[in-house]
Amino acid sequence: MSVTFHIPGPLRPFADGRAQVKLEASVATVSEALQALWVACPGIRDRVVTEQGQIREHINLFVGNEDVRYTGGLTTPVSPGAEISIVPAISGG
Amino acid sequence: MIGELLGHYRIVSKIGQGGMGVVYRAHDEVLERDVALKVVREGTLVEKSSREHLLHEARAASALSHPNICTIHEVGEFAGELYMVMELIEGKTLSALIGTAALAVESILRYGAQIAGALAHAHGRNIIHHDLKSANIVVTPQGLVKVLDFGLARRVPNKLVADQATESIGPLEGAGAIAGTLFYMAPEVLRGQAGDHRSDLWALGVILYEAASGQLPFRGRTSLELSSAILHEPPSPLPDRIPPGLWAVIQRCLAKEPAQRYQQAGEVQAALEAVQSASKTAPAQPSEQRGPSTIVHRGIQHLRVKDGDVLLLVGTTKGAFLLRSTADRSRWDVAGPYFHGLAIYALAYDGRDDRHRLWASTSSYWGTYLRSSDDFGKVWTNPVEANIRFPSDSGTSLKNIWQICLGRPDQPNVLYCGVEPAALFESRDAGETWSLVRGLFDHPHRPRWVPGNGGLCLHTILPDPAHNDRMSVAISAAGVYSTDDGGCTWRARNRGIRVVHQPEKYPEFGQCVHKMVMHPARPERFFLQNHWGLYRSDDGAESWKDIANGVPSDFGFAIVMHPHNPDCVYILPVESDEFRCTADGCLRVYRTRNAGASWEPLMRGLPQKRAYETILRDAMTADSLDPLGLYFGTRSGQLYGSADEGKTWQRILEGLPAVVCVKCAVVGEPRVGRKPKATQVAAAHSSAAKPPVVKRKKRRGKLK
Repeated sequence: MSVTFHIPGPLRPFADGRAQVKLEASVATVSEALQALWVACPGIRDRVVTEQGQIREHINLFVGNEDVRYTGGLTTPVSPGAEISIVPAISGG
Repeated sequence: MIGELLGHYRIVSKIGQGGMGVVYRAHDEVLERDVALKVVREGTLVEKSSREHLLHEARAASALSHPNICTIHEVGEFAGELYMVMELIEGKTLSALIGTAALAVESILRYGAQIAGALAHAHGRNIIHHDLKSANIVVTPQGLVKVLDFGLARRVPNKLVADQATESIGPLEGAGAIAGTLFYMAPEVLRGQAGDHRSDLWALGVILYEAASGQLPFRGRTSLELSSAILHEPPSPLPDRIPPGLWAVIQRCLAKEPAQRYQQAGEVQAALEAVQSASKTAPAQPSEQRGPSTIVHRGIQHLRVKDGDVLLLVGTTKGAFLLRSTADRSRWDVAGPYFHGLAIYALAYDGRDDRHRLWASTSSYWGTYLRSSDDFGKVWTNPVEANIRFPSDSGTSLKNIWQICLGRPDQPNVLYCGVEPAALFESRDAGETWSLVRGLFDHPHRPRWVPGNGGLCLHTILPDPAHNDRMSVAISAAGVYSTDDGGCTWRARNRGIRVVHQPEKYPEFGQCVHKMVMHPARPERFFLQNHWGLYRSDDGAESWKDIANGVPSDFGFAIVMHPHNPDCVYILPVESDEFRCTADGCLRVYRTRNAGASWEPLMRGLPQKRAYETILRDAMTADSLDPLGLYFGTRSGQLYGSADEGKTWQRILEGLPAVVCVKCAVVGEPRVGRKPKATQVAAAHSSAAKPPVVKRKKRRGKLK
């Protein structure tokens, strides 16, 4: 199966400049999909999660159009062909 | 062998083990210096003639003198053991730096040109490396490349190579030391020829490819497959981010026939330098502009800095600005913004050990990272992994880096960071790796520390220059903590500092210290700006005395020590806790020259009308010149400076984003062993006329 990550502009340098990273991986959850992404693009990990493995406060992850904060967080299921978007929240000063 | 004497070298510790033997850190008891000592393992030398040959070659290599070649001091035999004494190099091997991720183009070109320069020097003296690979190239923390083991290559008999190359049983990893070398072996050597200096250029091509892609150009599951790839297959194309010029250099180094390659290492060096200068002037490429492992700031007129110049580092909530001036400090060149849009709460210049390194902490949604630049801001590191991180058992995540502090001048690789949530991190390898200072993090008071308005942050770090194990830190809102045993244990030192935000007015800890300073030549003397309250300590922070004698308000954030006069400090009071702006719209610095007995306003050149300014804790600083230069930035984005000890001021810049950090350095300082000049200046100052005394306002308010 494959899963496709949509990479925001500031993180693309850590994905060889790509806006989408398609991974051929057998994954069941957002957590497993992220693990596969870290292997392919190690620089993205610390920018998306803290050193304790939590999604950073102002970063949102969507599976399809659903924010994973409301669908089970890192344990949200991922089906084959899923698209996962990494999106910074609208906040800050 | 640890502790033993080999000749006049005392073995200190084991550094590593290679195909040829064991490498130790040793101390030369005659020349009083640390060296690397390699003891050649018995049995690696096939026969006595090889031993003599090796001795001969090592002696020839010891004549090489080049900044990019590890110097061999001595080759000898002691009690039947063959040893080599070499320059001790602190750094990481290129293979460790590459890991599995490619290097930035800029680094590949910089390192590649240095390796080629080293080869050109050696080849010019008829010395061929024979075993060049990324594992025997070391990059120092300053970015200097050192090629190791020149002329020391194991004299691998041709038959052995041929056997390895045709052997197809067993995985390649099992083939031992020769396998590591095989990846870099030129086709002509594999075919059984002796190889010449052009075989070194092949190996350089392999290293450049490895650095550009994170992978070796020729691979195979067995040595037969690998040999076949080296002999017959072209390397796979490199990713798009590699400039065509660099790819062309690599391809020419990897030509199968030596005659098709560059014929001299100097040509490779020139070619890499040409690509380097072309890429500096080329238009920005999106993928290169922001990483991955470095950021090149294009479209900025960077500073041109000379030794003796004064450098101002200005951090704002939306990026950093760098300024320089000659020592007269009358005109400033400005460059920036660096780190466009990121908050820069901590900056530092490290001139120890002949470095010219800038440090910056950058904060955004994407986390907090520590970056450095060795060329005054053109290229900055962009760490793949966050370099400061709490250990997983702490359950804590980094929020911000508030302070970057250099270790003592005699410990040029030591750095400290103060972070939020309040903790101290230490690096002993010039910022490559960091560790949490557990003694403070595990302090029994920590669960009861409460955040101030800016969060629970460790914002001030003051290593005692006279006592290696002593250091004091300040935490908002926990107070002052000091260690006398190198960070193992810490004690709260807040006796005499009043708190306004809890019923007990003089608790053991919980003080909201805004900033603290120490005099470098009299490290027992401290001054402290509290959340309400100005204090002095003359006994190494054991006890504190209120010195707010005649200031318009003892509320404020910034406080700066005069580096040459232990009785002189500068503050920038704001009206109160509720109205954290300069009182009555008058921007005034206050100075004491008698250790706080009285304070005088300094306002010539500063606006005295409608200037409701806030100056944050790290937004005021001093240089080290005489007369002293002082600088501060405001939350409204103005930057002021004085080149005459605060007597007169000029606005250096306006219209910046909110200034949160101003740091200053004289380029080329501090040199190791430089002693701060001190007391004679202090004596001159203390005889000055008494300044006017201003009526003090009543203290009030509470901690937010």
